[in-house]
Parts: sequence; structure tokens; C-alpha cells
Amino acid sequence: MMRKLANLILLLVAVAFCYGLQISKPHYGDLIGPIPVRGKVGDTIVGRSFEVRAEKLEFARKLETDRFGETKVLTTGGVWAVVTVAFAARAESTSVAVASWRGPTGLTYDHTERLSFVNNGFLPVTVDPGLPRKARLVFEVSPAEAGNATVLISNKLLAALDSQAEISIGPVAVLSDGFPVGTVDTLDLSQPIDGQPK
Amino acid sequence: MLEGARSRLKAWIVTGIGTAAAIAVAGVLGAFEAGHAQVPVLARAGPIETGQWLLQPVKAYVSAEKYVYGTLRKPGTKALVFEVDMTNRTAQSTKDYFDLVQATRPPLDPATKPYIVLTRDSTLSPELHPGMTERMAYVWELPEGGAVPASLGLTVMSKIYKQRDNLYGLPGWFNPSPVGTLTIPVAPDTGGQP
Repeated sequence: MMRKLANLILLLVAVAFCYGLQISKPHYGDLIGPIPVRGKVGDTIVGRSFEVRAEKLEFARKLETDRFGETKVLTTGGVWAVVTVAFAARAESTSVAVASWRGPTGLTYDHTERLSFVNNGFLPVTVDPGLPRKARLVFEVSPAEAGNATVLISNKLLAALDSQAEISIGPVAVLSDGFPVGTVDTLDLSQPIDGQPK
Repeated sequence: MLEGARSRLKAWIVTGIGTAAAIAVAGVLGAFEAGHAQVPVLARAGPIETGQWLLQPVKAYVSAEKYVYGTLRKPGTKALVFEVDMTNRTAQSTKDYFDLVQATRPPLDPATKPYIVLTRDSTLSPELHPGMTERMAYVWELPEGGAVPASLGLTVMSKIYKQRDNLYGLPGWFNPSPVGTLTIPVAPDTGGQP
């Protein structure tokens, strides 16, 4: 009788212990996630294979760019957020291909795919050691998610166990129509980036 | 001998009752209904809610224009276009809309895949961002000589969210199942895009 009871108690203790482990330990998805490296606009953020510094943040209602010699205007249902960044490789040549914009409520807007016909100055960017390059990261976001956001940059999608730069964008003042202060009507992306050799 | 036969009979009866009870419980819980549940008919006026998307059907039409939303039409075909306003209900940009609507009946074979265009600037299947409604066009190919169908039948599919999938332990949307069927009248070719 005592022996049976002791076995039963042992079993219950084992079940409780396993349940405790299950709810308290990080899950596989968290364990193999990207490793964040945090910083602000203007900071140089040093990851495993690349360094990045956000230099400028602009908002626009429309974007303008060249496509096969003709001007193409990109409209949006929200607002375009354009972050000019400087990349540098560390020990070896690398490419940076993925960026997203995480708003204050956790909504995540991936880098736009509507500019994929332009191949210079946008992601994916190849950088070599000693040869820094600038690029524009372009996001199509809801105006409500423009302030207090974080820009996430990594080498590739599913950057498991690799560093991911997290650049925090501070608060952004908004106008009465909900758009950030300083939102321009049209931003011309065919202009070269300041300080970028042609 | 007789004792053995009796206990065997008893065992048979007990297992028989147990099995019957298990089947009855499963039946009450609905195990046999899933296979032939009726798929509801959706209102054309919308909105239609799937796991990831909110859909507002707009119109369907046939076009014989040379370019249908920036894509050159193949010779010998015309385009059957279904336009829909789509809102991403998730917290993440996604393009998981390729199997969202499926043609159910002639003239389209359910196996024919449409191409999907953002009508705003004819980008082919871009990611759509959380909460930002965009008008998308699903474009199927029809033989040029064939009659224009009067209506387009579609099955709208939905997926369920899993916090952790069984293979990688990562969150995702799985297990597509039909939400309902939708019938949209097809406007005839008017020589342009209406």
C-alpha cells in the first residue's frame, strides 16, 4: 500500500517537474533565433559579419525612380519610410539582404518588394572589407507605426544564430493628418546618396 | 470446456460493447461529420474573413488587352481577371495568398494557377503589409476562342495559426481548409479594363 502510494507521488512529482521545464525553458524557435545588436540612429552597430550606421530618416507620400529611362512613381496606402544607412564588412565580403521595420505595437513591415527592378543602392547590398557602401532601406508602413519603431537588418532571412542589427528610431512627431512631421510629397530615389561614390 | 467458452463469450461481449461505445462517443463528438461538411456559400458583398486575410471582392471581367496589369498576354489566350481588396490581418508582412482563392468549376480547371498582381503599380505578387489594404488582381488564362463565362466560381481558403510547428518549432500558418464558395458575375470584354 505504502509502496504504491510512494510510486504514485513520484509519478506526480515527475509530471510536475516536466511541466515546469516545458513552461519555463526557452523553446527551440527562441534558442535558434537571431542575436540582436542594438543601437540608435547615428550609432555604428557592429554585428558578426557587417557594421551598419543609420544616417538619415525620411518620410514620403510618393517615391519617384527611374525604370528603363522613364520615371516611375510609387504610391502607397500608408507612408514610405526611407532610411539611409552606411554598411561596412568586417573580416570578409558579405551581403546584407533583409531588413524590416517593427512598429511600436509589434507590427512588422518587411522591406518593400516594389523596388526590386532597381539594383543599385538598395538591398541586397554586397560589401567588402575596407570599402564601405551606402544604401537606402525602403519600407511601406502605416503612419501610426512610424514613430518609436525599430529597423531590423540581417544578412539573410531566418538569420538563425547570427547577429541582427536593431536600430531604434526615436519618437516621431506627427501632423494632424497622422503623417510624420517633415513628410515630403515626393522623394526622388534616382538621386545619388550623399557621399556615395558613383 | 464449457467454462472456457463462457469466459470467451464474455470477453467478446465486453470488447464489443467497448468498441461500440467508443464509436458512439466519436460520432457524438463529430468525428464522422468533417468529411462531408457543407462548405457555406459566401455573400458576394463581403467582407470575407480568412485566418490571415480580410477580402472584399470587387469585380471579375475578361480582358483581351495586350498587357493585363503590365504583363504581356500570351498569344491565343485572354485574361480572366478577379479583383479583390485584401487586408493582411497578421502582424507580419506576407505573400501567403497564392492558394487563397481557387477556381472551382469550368471554364477554369482548379489546377490552373493564376498570377497575382498589385493593381497599384502592376508589381507581381509583392508582400502585403499588416493592416494596409491593397487591391490585387488574380489573373487566369482562358482560350481566346472560347465563350466568356457568365460567372466565376471560387473557393476561398483559410489557414490556422500554430505558435510552434512540429518540425522547426517556429510560428506559422498551416492546414488550409475551405471557408466557403463565392460566385462572381463576369463582365464581358469591353475592349479595355473597366
